[in-house]
Amino acid sequence: MADVFSPGLLLMLMMSSLDWLSTPGSAFLFDRDQAKSAPLEPHFTECVSRDLETFRCWWSPGSFQNLSSPGALRVFYLRKDSPLSEWKECPEYNHLNRECFFDTSHTSVWLPYCMQLRSQNNVTYFNEEDCFTVENIVRPDPPVSLNWTLLKVSPSGLSYDVMVSWEPPPSADVRGGWMRIQYEVQYRDRNTTNWEALEMQPHTQQTIYGLQIGIEYEVHIRCRMQAFTKFGEFSDSIFMQVTEIPSTDFTAPLTLILIFGTVGILIVIMLIVISQQQRLMMILLPPVPAPKIKGIDSDLLKKGKLEELNFILNGGSIGGLQTFSPDFYQDEPWVEFIEVDEEEADSREKEDDQASDTQKLLAPPQPISDHRTIRCSETFRHPEEVFDHGSCYSADRLEEDSKVQMDAPPPGQAGDKESSTEFAERTPALDRCRAPPVQTQTGTPQTWVNTDFYTQVSNVMPSGGVVLSPGQQLRTQESTPASEHGAQTKGKQRDESGDMDGQRQKEPQFHLLVVDPEGSGYTTESNCWQNSTPSNSPNPGAGYQTIPPPPVEIKPAASADANRLPYILPDSPQLVAPVADYTVVQELDTHHSLLLDPTPIQSPPPCPSQPPLKTQIPVEYITPDLLGNLLP
Amino acid sequence: MSGQMRPACSVWLLLVCLVLYSRLKVAASAPTCTNGQAGCHVLSLANLFDRVIQHSARMHGISNDLHSEFELYFLPSKNQIGRVSRNCHTSTILTPNGKENAQRMAREELTEVILKLLVAWGDPLWHFHQSLAHNHEFSNFSSNKSLEMSDMVHELRKGVQKVIEKMKMLGIIGNSLGGLGSSESLLAPVSAEWRLMKDYDLLYCFRRDSSKIQNYLKILKCRIVPEHGC
Repeated sequence: MADVFSPGLLLMLMMSSLDWLSTPGSAFLFDRDQAKSAPLEPHFTECVSRDLETFRCWWSPGSFQNLSSPGALRVFYLRKDSPLSEWKECPEYNHLNRECFFDTSHTSVWLPYCMQLRSQNNVTYFNEEDCFTVENIVRPDPPVSLNWTLLKVSPSGLSYDVMVSWEPPPSADVRGGWMRIQYEVQYRDRNTTNWEALEMQPHTQQTIYGLQIGIEYEVHIRCRMQAFTKFGEFSDSIFMQVTEIPSTDFTAPLTLILIFGTVGILIVIMLIVISQQQRLMMILLPPVPAPKIKGIDSDLLKKGKLEELNFILNGGSIGGLQTFSPDFYQDEPWVEFIEVDEEEADSREKEDDQASDTQKLLAPPQPISDHRTIRCSETFRHPEEVFDHGSCYSADRLEEDSKVQMDAPPPGQAGDKESSTEFAERTPALDRCRAPPVQTQTGTPQTWVNTDFYTQVSNVMPSGGVVLSPGQQLRTQESTPASEHGAQTKGKQRDESGDMDGQRQKEPQFHLLVVDPEGSGYTTESNCWQNSTPSNSPNPGAGYQTIPPPPVEIKPAASADANRLPYILPDSPQLVAPVADYTVVQELDTHHSLLLDPTPIQSPPPCPSQPPLKTQIPVEYITPDLLGNLLP
Repeated sequence: MSGQMRPACSVWLLLVCLVLYSRLKVAASAPTCTNGQAGCHVLSLANLFDRVIQHSARMHGISNDLHSEFELYFLPSKNQIGRVSRNCHTSTILTPNGKENAQRMAREELTEVILKLLVAWGDPLWHFHQSLAHNHEFSNFSSNKSLEMSDMVHELRKGVQKVIEKMKMLGIIGNSLGGLGSSESLLAPVSAEWRLMKDYDLLYCFRRDSSKIQNYLKILKCRIVPEHGC
């Protein structure tokens, strides 16, 4: 068998480009097409069977027109049912069509037939390729009785499906099973030219999907034997068209049902959500833990209990917040006015200011024990709050640099006159040990000549002037009750400080030193005697309120100071209490002037035993409720 | 929740198992039922015929495809029909050549012809497949088709034998047919001429014979069980 393949392969390579798929039966036409140049001899055009029981053959004389007359050519066939078969003549002629018909008795399926043409003078025109077997030349008739039915219109109303059904060709014995036929349905838009072919199938009905409404379609069918290649003719076409069908009666209730259904579902969902709101909120939005500060209850802030909050903030409770100066009290408002002689002050203070400014710039903050310049003398220029610093200068001090020029007349304070007079009385209380770094100002409005870089504003006059507090202003009690009250209020704030008792003890000692006429705390105090009594008593109309510095720091000094108090007290000129460099605005009084905190008490240089107080770190905060106590 | 799930899961699993088991039972080849035993899934004769006819149609289709493919390769310049007809090894089997002849033939004879044809083509097709498989000139497609064709001939033969048994059981045909054992007797007249045939001729012959088989089966069915499809 190998010898077959090599030539076969060659042939395949040679002829692979050509489409030679052909059955023996169809060899009739090919040869004739190729041999065009040669004169066309009589030949058979086609032999076809329609039902696998009979078949027909047609011939043509070719170019030999003299043989075109009927009877000039005779058809002979050979049926090879045995090696001894012979050529026989056509059983039935149809000369009009030049056709030879073989009926059932002369038709044998699966047997090769060969056809031959013979002329009158025994010229035989035979081609070996004109042999065939009947089953290979079968071309079934087209189906009949085509019709179509509308299956379904799409919901959009744009396309529809159609079922096409037909009958098998009557000539084919499908019922008897002799022929098994496959059908091929083709359809097209009537306006187009391309046919759409569906798949071959043996049933007598076919569904066509996706036809468009409004377009007229043409359908025709052809058939062939199963597993054979030759198709029959196409059937007659049928036309189908579907116009717009307003089928709202079916869709309208559907849409209504959908709408109501969705609405009902939404209502149910909403009911569920509403009833389970809490749970859903917990699931969807879990509560975020709020920040908490240890020791502070946020509710206090909300309810405005600032007093307690302040207490907490100031370290009243264990673990309370650390403020800048937890030792400072804020219960005794005081304002100190310090006035400096212009003549001497200017000349001196200029230098001093410069020096102090420079010192202040360069030198690091140092405790109070540093040298300070204390002005011990103060003169009250202004009836209200003019203080002349005494000529008592102590060691330099950092705070002295903060030569704050006090605004001599705190304007707008009617009650200040009294206070001033009181203050004038109390000026001796000024510490001579310390030079208030604050410059007292003359009666003129404030001069900022000797102003230090940092100072604290004691008060803002209604006229607009600013009353600066000396750096070393001491705070003194204004009155015992006031101080006591202040002490009490202070004690409220400072639980931890055991100074309350000490302060209270000191209070009567400081009684004479109270400077604040109106309850505003002019607490001028030397470091020798430190006043730690707060005077938080509300000062009627007091423009100046000071908060006593926290007693903690001055505690050790306070004791010492207390001893000295009576000693110093009568002798000591009124000194402007050194004003701290920084003070805190306590509040705005009714006249919209700033009320400053008193500066912290600083230890005077002649009292070296005393530990230096904290310098001007007057971080004395006043809380609103303290202000409430302070205000009239 | 899990407590409720477990019995539900077990019930579900049980249902699935039952369904699968029933499916398996159905899918498994039903045992040969004799005299309508209980529990047997008995096929009707019409169904048997339909299956067999479908099988033969498929076989004929494959033989036609292979033959066309070989025609492409070998390109017979001339029509081979006249030459080939002498060489088919099944030519000795007398087969009706027309519908009328087939319809006039007795059922037993027709059935016997079918069986003879199928028996005659078992071995040649197997060897044909072997030759194709070993020859690298042919594609796998051809080789697979030849194998399928060979298997189909065997399957069809078994199917036809089952149909014969059924028909005998139903008393449609007599016992003149030898049954399974007669296959060897049928082979005797068919000589080993097929070994001399070339592949292309073999295919041509088989194509012709598969068409015969298909037609004969259809006629037989429409004569015996003419309902639906005839």
